[in-house]
Amino acid sequence: MRWRRVLGALVLVALLAGAGTALVRSTGPAGRPDPVEAVAASLRCPACQGESVVDSRSPIAASMRQVVADQVAQGRSPDEIRRWFVQRYGEEVLADPPARGVFLLLWAVPVLVLLGVGYAAVRTARSRGGPATCPPAAAGPAGSGPPGRTARRAWWAASLGLVATMASVAVAARQLDRPAPAAPADPVAVAVRLAQDLEQQQRYAAAAQMYGEALRDRPDDALRLRLAFALLRSGDAAGAERTSRDVLTRSPDSPDGLLVLGLAQRGTRPADAPGTLRQFLAVAPEHPAAVEIRRLLAGAPPTVGGTPTPRPAGATG
Amino acid sequence: MLADLGTATLAAGLLCATLAALLWLRVALVGAPARPARLATTGGLLSAVAACAVLETALLRHDFGVRFVAENGGRQVPVFYTVTSLWSALDGSLLLWLLVLGGYAALLARRAYPTRLHAYTMVLVSAVAAFFFVLSHVAANPFRAVHPAPLDGPGPNPLLQQHPAMGVHPPLLYAGYLGLVVPFALALAAPLAGREGRDWLRLARPWTLAAWSALTAGIGLGAWWSYAVLGWGGYWAWDPVENASLLPWLTATAFLHTTLGRPARRAGWNRALACASFLLVLLGTFLTRSGAVASVHAFTDSPLGPMLLGLVLLAVLASAVLAGRGPRRPAPGRADPLLSRGTAVLVNGVLLATIAAAVLIGTVFPLLAEPLTGSRASVGPGYYQRTAVPLAIVLLLLMGVPPALRVRDRAEALRRLALPGAAALATMAVVGLLSRPGLPALTAFGAAAFVLAGAAGQVTGRRGGAARPVRWASVLAHAGLALVAVGVAGSSAYSQSGERSLRIGETLRAGDASVRLLSVERSAGGGDMAVRARLRLVEADGRERNVAPALRYHPARDTAVTVPVIDTGLRRDTYVTLLAVAADGGSATLRLAVNPLVSLLWCGGALITGGGLLALAGGAARRGRRAKAGTSAVPVGAGVPA
Amino acid sequence: MSRSGIPRPWWRRPPVAAALTLALAVGAALALRPTSDPATGDAASGPAPALAGTTLDGGRFDLADARGQVVLVNVFASWCGPCRDELPLLAEAERRWSDRGVRLVGLDVRDGPEAVRALLKETGTTGLVVLPDPDGTRSVDWGVRGVPETFVVDRQGRIVARQRGVVTARWLEQQVTPLLGAA
Repeated sequence: MRWRRVLGALVLVALLAGAGTALVRSTGPAGRPDPVEAVAASLRCPACQGESVVDSRSPIAASMRQVVADQVAQGRSPDEIRRWFVQRYGEEVLADPPARGVFLLLWAVPVLVLLGVGYAAVRTARSRGGPATCPPAAAGPAGSGPPGRTARRAWWAASLGLVATMASVAVAARQLDRPAPAAPADPVAVAVRLAQDLEQQQRYAAAAQMYGEALRDRPDDALRLRLAFALLRSGDAAGAERTSRDVLTRSPDSPDGLLVLGLAQRGTRPADAPGTLRQFLAVAPEHPAAVEIRRLLAGAPPTVGGTPTPRPAGATG
Repeated sequence: MLADLGTATLAAGLLCATLAALLWLRVALVGAPARPARLATTGGLLSAVAACAVLETALLRHDFGVRFVAENGGRQVPVFYTVTSLWSALDGSLLLWLLVLGGYAALLARRAYPTRLHAYTMVLVSAVAAFFFVLSHVAANPFRAVHPAPLDGPGPNPLLQQHPAMGVHPPLLYAGYLGLVVPFALALAAPLAGREGRDWLRLARPWTLAAWSALTAGIGLGAWWSYAVLGWGGYWAWDPVENASLLPWLTATAFLHTTLGRPARRAGWNRALACASFLLVLLGTFLTRSGAVASVHAFTDSPLGPMLLGLVLLAVLASAVLAGRGPRRPAPGRADPLLSRGTAVLVNGVLLATIAAAVLIGTVFPLLAEPLTGSRASVGPGYYQRTAVPLAIVLLLLMGVPPALRVRDRAEALRRLALPGAAALATMAVVGLLSRPGLPALTAFGAAAFVLAGAAGQVTGRRGGAARPVRWASVLAHAGLALVAVGVAGSSAYSQSGERSLRIGETLRAGDASVRLLSVERSAGGGDMAVRARLRLVEADGRERNVAPALRYHPARDTAVTVPVIDTGLRRDTYVTLLAVAADGGSATLRLAVNPLVSLLWCGGALITGGGLLALAGGAARRGRRAKAGTSAVPVGAGVPA
Repeated sequence: MSRSGIPRPWWRRPPVAAALTLALAVGAALALRPTSDPATGDAASGPAPALAGTTLDGGRFDLADARGQVVLVNVFASWCGPCRDELPLLAEAERRWSDRGVRLVGLDVRDGPEAVRALLKETGTTGLVVLPDPDGTRSVDWGVRGVPETFVVDRQGRIVARQRGVVTARWLEQQVTPLLGAA
């Protein structure tokens, strides 16, 4: 009997020693032998969703792996490398969020739940399994009495509530659903959007046509100025002059109107152009195009292909 | 025409479900006969069946005038995946959801439970069904007509056309999710039903077991699908959709344990866990279906998000109000012995609740952080590995203790733990000295050995007469979980992989396996374009064979899908993925990985599910015997003793 | 511990207590939130990192030498479709503003010289100063998240604007014109 005990103790000691050694061996940095991989795993790929730099196949993640490898080769510590990335990409680049600020919630919630539920468990374990008190039976319409007026009233109230809930869900769903199809329904907005796209593709004649269509539905001076500018760029100086004069009759001091008119006049009647442009400079000396116009008046050649490029400020919004 | 018919079935379902809720409420409040209410419930099920049938017909007949078919159907799609495309997108899957919910409601309506408890339960289930019908009808109606109807559709998401698991994974998952509505409704109906409500726990247990088994199988199949289709070699990425399925599983597992033994003393726990499980189902549905997790701004794109959020809040409110009316806590007195089933169940509950809390806050954190910090902070796997995983290992270790709880004598109890303990230490010593798997994996191996040795002892020991099925079920489920732990730890610690660009004739190695690139082939047809790399695979055990992983491009959806080749073995899987192909076809980028012990995951998952089903069958048999004997023996799960 | 059936005050009920604790925790976390701006790493302003090296055509470029000029740094690659579309616009902007001290330099990420030359030829921007960044490390130094990305560096060598994704003529106008006057 004693021998068995000694043997058992010996086996136990041997097993404990083996398991202990194994555990100690495992705590070393053997899990990820490659420091580059370890650092890369702690960074989030900024171009992807929820992938770390080590797993992602996106080109930027490959570059970031390269940077990590370079810096590790230079002998920088993992923390230094991570800080380097945080400086450039912000804290979102860290795969493990830092434990401060809102991120504390990630740790606080499980700990609070553990404490709360643990407390409840201790109370339950300490309690006797004896009879528990029942809820007072008459606490609501569920009283055990015969079905009476109260029960009927409760039924009516509950059914009204249910039907009202369903109806409000249906109505609310329709309400919430509406904005999506309503947005693109404005033909003017669509036409203006199209015209802007055309302008960006430098198809000014087509853009002018689009603006013209939009104007037919909504006579508006801002739109007219865009039209005038598009006409000017498409080479129709006469059209641009006509349109900008149209605007200037209503608001004679409109800087953009004066700008386009002046630029257009350089094509149609060069003699009047400097006067109009000086007037423009007088009205709006701080205009983004003012510098260019001053240069133009000073006699410098226009910068690009004969067509002056400053845009009217009102036409950029 | 099918579009109008479909919308009509949804309207009929909405009507039936609302009517059912009202009629069951009449039964509960004024004692009206239950037959009309039962008919209305059946009507709800029939409407859901009809809605699914109409949509399936539209899909199979390629009726592109129906919105859902125009968005998810396709003439090139094989019949099997045409059928499964019903649940390949949100609106259609809501119909499957309604079908399963209607099925549960109809089954529950036919049971002979105490009248008022039954009626209140049905009110709640019917109200939930009505809510989802109205959601499907107004917010996500798949039957809206499309004018003019397109000639062809893009087909379902290509990722969902790769694996037969698509046919069973979503229905099983839904069976699991929606089964949890029954314990939820029973828990909330119990305080309303007064004296009759005491029995709710005994009635809830079989439903919970069935739902839990389905949920387990669904999660397992989901992991299998992810491993076999997504091509990154993993099976669990802690993404919101996966977390949403794990959360109710955790609380339902805790619930199944707190109902064991003398559950009366844990009345508050049972109510809270039963409610929490279904609330987490609803919350998960909201998180994954509204697009809220991907971005807060996607949430209001469709009315579905706010509606689901409303449902979650309503359900939380209902649970708080109703569950608060339950019986008070028993008075404090003599403490449980430390080593007792009561303590073990509580510790289990605490750990599972904490794991659930960590997973939950990790999942919803981006949602909370975006408005607060202005930047999109997402929570990566690292967070879960530092919170949920250590807790899970502790839980695994505690799963080895039950054999010792079955005896009163403390010395005998310790003796029963000696052999498993020695096995655990020996495993850790051998594994840790021969390799360096890292601390979490090593402790997981030790804990799993502890559980498995204990389970083996229970199987071979066979003391105390005939074993009850419930005990066998627990042995089976715990052993399955230990196997899953071994699979997870082994595949994450010992996986070896290599990835690089190969010219034809070159070889890529990973561990003892290697592949040589023979040729690169292109093909087109069947709605996609495919590139295939012909490879000579030499496995770790020296077997050689030709494999051809592919990269498929689906123009209709503008997505490329990797089709990995997986050579499954008991000890290890060899996993080959084609990542890219050079334009001239002279080289290809390949990834070769050797993943050990992955098969244990699937075996373990099957064992856990089997354990759940065995407990279900055992419980049914016992109830049957008792009914035959005509006795009213003390119910296992009596709610509140008088 | 309530020994008998005396109802506890509502605030001692476990659910209420838990909700209160959670609310307090959220409040505390909000209060502890670092007040420094969250966009520290976003470097929409601040000194531009160094950028120097041999250009595609063998010349030499150093951003430090370009002090006093407005420099548009465009991060691009031949394998990126949107980059192809925006290059002509950027080249045109440089041409337009070149005599006002605006320069354009392309940082070519993870690309081969042949592919870039083909791209420049195709888009008619052969004159562009291109700094190759074959392993992408320079781009990472600039905090680039993806291609294309464009930075505006002012005459004092500070980054004053950055655009993730394609630039528009309007964006260039808005960002560059205010810098032109300060020559």
